[in-house]
Amino acid sequence: MKGFVKRFSRELEVVAALAVIMIVFGMIQPIYFSPSNLLDILDQSVINGLLAIGMTLVIITGGIDLTVGSTLAIVIVSVGNFTVMGLRPLPAVLAGVAIGFVLGLVNGVLVAKMRLQPFVATLGMMSVYRGVAYLITGGWPVLNIPQTFRDLMDGDVVGSLSSSMILFLAVTAVAYILLKHTKFGTYLYAIGSNEEATRLSGVNVDKNKILAYAVCGVTVALAAMVMLAKLGTGEPAAGASYETNAIAAAAIGGTSLAGGKGSIVGTFLGAILLQALKVGLVVCGVDTFWQYIATGLIIVFAVYVDVIQGKLAAMRLNKKAKA
Amino acid sequence: MAGLLKRDELMSIMIHFSNITKQFPGNKALDDVDFSVEKGEIHALLGENGAGKSTLLNILHGIYPDYDGEVEIDGSKVNFKNANDAIEYGIAKVHQEVNLVTELTVGQNIALGYEPAKKGLIDYEAMYEKTDGILEKLGCRFRSRDRVNSLSTGEMQMILIAKALFHNARIISFDEPTSALTDREVDRLLQLIMELKAQGITILYITHRLDEVYAIADRASILRDGKYICTLQIKETKKDELIRHMVGRDVSAYAVRNQELCSSEEVVLKVESLCKNGVFEDISFELHRGEILSFAGLVGSKRTDVMRAIFGADSYTSGSVYIHGKKAEIRTPKDALRYSLGLIPENRKTQGFVKNFNNAVNMALASMDRFCSRGFVNEKKILENCMYYTGEMNLHPADPEYLTEALSGGNAQKVIIAKWMTTDADIIIFDEPTKGIDVGAKAEIYRLMEELVARGKSIIMVSSELPEVIGMSDRVIVMREGRIMGELGRKELNEEIIMKFAMGG
Repeated sequence: MKGFVKRFSRELEVVAALAVIMIVFGMIQPIYFSPSNLLDILDQSVINGLLAIGMTLVIITGGIDLTVGSTLAIVIVSVGNFTVMGLRPLPAVLAGVAIGFVLGLVNGVLVAKMRLQPFVATLGMMSVYRGVAYLITGGWPVLNIPQTFRDLMDGDVVGSLSSSMILFLAVTAVAYILLKHTKFGTYLYAIGSNEEATRLSGVNVDKNKILAYAVCGVTVALAAMVMLAKLGTGEPAAGASYETNAIAAAAIGGTSLAGGKGSIVGTFLGAILLQALKVGLVVCGVDTFWQYIATGLIIVFAVYVDVIQGKLAAMRLNKKAKA
Repeated sequence: MAGLLKRDELMSIMIHFSNITKQFPGNKALDDVDFSVEKGEIHALLGENGAGKSTLLNILHGIYPDYDGEVEIDGSKVNFKNANDAIEYGIAKVHQEVNLVTELTVGQNIALGYEPAKKGLIDYEAMYEKTDGILEKLGCRFRSRDRVNSLSTGEMQMILIAKALFHNARIISFDEPTSALTDREVDRLLQLIMELKAQGITILYITHRLDEVYAIADRASILRDGKYICTLQIKETKKDELIRHMVGRDVSAYAVRNQELCSSEEVVLKVESLCKNGVFEDISFELHRGEILSFAGLVGSKRTDVMRAIFGADSYTSGSVYIHGKKAEIRTPKDALRYSLGLIPENRKTQGFVKNFNNAVNMALASMDRFCSRGFVNEKKILENCMYYTGEMNLHPADPEYLTEALSGGNAQKVIIAKWMTTDADIIIFDEPTKGIDVGAKAEIYRLMEELVARGKSIIMVSSELPEVIGMSDRVIVMREGRIMGELGRKELNEEIIMKFAMGG
C-alpha cells in the first residue's frame, strides 16, 4: 500500500484535486453529480485526452509536438474525404492512422536526425500541416460524413459507454503498458533524462525518438477521427490551438517539460480534470471568459506543486547523498 | 570547549567550530564537530565522500544558516544568513565546479554584484582598474577586459581567487580545486595558495589528493561519518596514518595488484593508424586478453577522444579497428556493444547514468533485450540482476530501487561498472575510473578491475593519476597532444619517465 502511494503519488494528488473540484461544483449545482453529466465529462475529454497521451510520450523524451492541432486537421479532412468517396469505415480508420503515423515520423526525423530543436521544428511544421489541410479541401469543410463511420468511432456500445470513450480508455491502457513495461518506454524516459548516457549504453536514441513522435501522430489521428464522427463534418481549421490543452493536461498530470518524467495515468486524469472544471463552470452558469482564467490558474498551480515537490525531493536526495 | 581555551590561544584562532551539529531529516550530516583553525595556516579538511566536509563549508559560507552549535570567526560569533553575508565578512570560496558568467568579461565576473558605481551607473574604469590590479598581483596572464569564455579551466579558477581578494577575504576555502586542472596548473595553484598564506590569509583546503596535502598544508582535520576525528600536524604524520583515520580501518588505498598478472598473448583489440583531423593522429596499439592497458598523459592529450572514437561515440577520419582479429565497423555505441565493448565514461553524471532511474534500471539499460520477453520488460529479472551485483560489489545502500543519482560517487561508479558487467562485455574502457571518489571506494574499484581481468576480460584505463597508472597497469601508453609518445612495460614504470613522455621532454 505504501509502495502504491509512493509510486502513484502524483496521480493521487490529481485525483484529490479532481475530487475537490467536483465536490465544490456538486454542492453549488447538484445536477453536476448526475450520471449523465459525469459521462459527459468523460465523453468530452476524449479528444484532448488522446492528444495529450501522444504529447506525453514526446515530452518524456525531452521534446514537444506543437503540430498536434494541424495533424488533426490533415487527418480529419483526408479521412472525411475518404469516407465521403465511399471508403468503408474500417479501412478509412486505418488510412487515418497511417497518415498520423507518417506526419509524426516527419516531425521525429526533423528532431532526431536533423537535430532541430523540437519547439522550433514542430512550430514550423504546425504551419506547414495547417496549410496542407486547407489545400486538401480548397478551404471548404468536408460535409455529410456517412453514419456508418460515425457509429464506428462514436456510437453506443455498452450501456451509455460510447465507442470513443472505450477507445480513449483502451489507448490510455496501451500507452501505460508501453511506457511502464516495454523497452521502448524505458528508453523514452532514459532519453529524456540523459540522452548522452543512454546513447553510450548502446541505445539507438534517434530511432526511439522518431518512434515517439510517430506514436504521437497515431493518437492524434485517433482523436481526429473521433472529432470527425462527433461533428459529422471535417473542417481544415479544426484543432487550432489544441496543442495548448494537450500540454496542459500532461503538465497537470505531472509530466515535466524538461523531459524524463511523466505518467500516462496522470495525463488521463489531467485531461479529465480540465474538462470537469470546464463543465462545472458551464453548469454553474459562469461566464466563458472565466473558464480561461480558471484553466490557466489550474495549470500554473499544478506546475507550482511540481516545483515545490522538486525542492522537497532535492532535499531528500541531499540527505541521502550525505547519509 | 571555547571557555577552556587560554587567552593567547584565543588570539591566534581564526575559525572556531564549536559543537556543530547539522541535522537533515532523518540524517545527521554533522555530529558535534568541534575544532579550530589557526590564523594564517593552511588547514586541510579530510574525509571520505559523505564525511561532512562540504556540509561544514556550507555552514561556514552561510549556505546552511540553520544548525546547532556556534561558529566563531576571529573571536566573534557569526551566523550568516546567505553566501553574500559571508563574502562581505571576508570569507570566500573557490570550488571545483567553476561557476562564472562566461559571456561577461573577467572584471565583470570578479566584481559581480559589487560593481563600483558613479551617479547610479557602473564605473567601468574604476572597476577594471581595481580588478586588473588584483590579477597582476596574482601573476595572471589575462586581463580584466578579456572574455571568460576564452580562458582555460585553470584560468577560470584564478578568477575565483581574484574575486576572493576583491572582497578582501581573510579566509578562503578551496573545495577540490585541482580536480579539473593540468599538472602545471596544479603546481601554479599550490604555489599561489602558499603566497596567499604568506599574506596572512587563512586557508581551508578540501582534497582527495594526499600529495597536495603534504605539499602545502600545515595541519589537517579529519571527519568521518559526520563526526570530528582528530587534527594532525602534517609534518609529523605518515600517509597511512591519515588514511587510517579517514576510513577508520586499514584499507590499502594505494593502487596495487594483489593477484598475479594474467595477460595473455591473444590480441583482443587492435587499433591501426586511427586518425581524427585536428584531434589525434596515427594511434596504433594492441590490447591483450586479461590485460590492463593504461593511457597516461596530461589533461588535453586527447585520450578520451581516442576512446570515444573506438567506442563509436564520436566519428573519426581514418584508420581501422580489429576485434579478435576481425575488422570491426563501429559507427555507434550500439555497434560497439555488438562487439562486446563497454565504456565507463569520464563524467558519471552527464554520461554515465540516467538521473531519474534507480540502480536496477541503470544496470539493465545496456542489456534491455536480455531483460525483455515477448516485448515486455521483465522487472523481476532486472531486480535479480541488480541484487546480484549489489552483493558482488558491496554496493551501499543495498537497495535496487535507490536512485543512482543519490549515491556517493564511488557507489554510482559501481552501478556503471555493473551495467557493463551485465552486458558481459569483453573489453571495458575505464575513463578516469576513480575521479572524485574517496579512498575506500577507490580500492574497491581497483579490486573489481583485477577481478575482471582474472576472468579473462581486458581493460583499457585512461587515467591522470600516476600512482593508479603505475600500480594497476600491465602496460602503459603515454599520449601527448593527440599522439602516442611512448609505451612502457610494467617493470619500466615510474612517475618521472611517464611525465617525461607526457610533457614531451
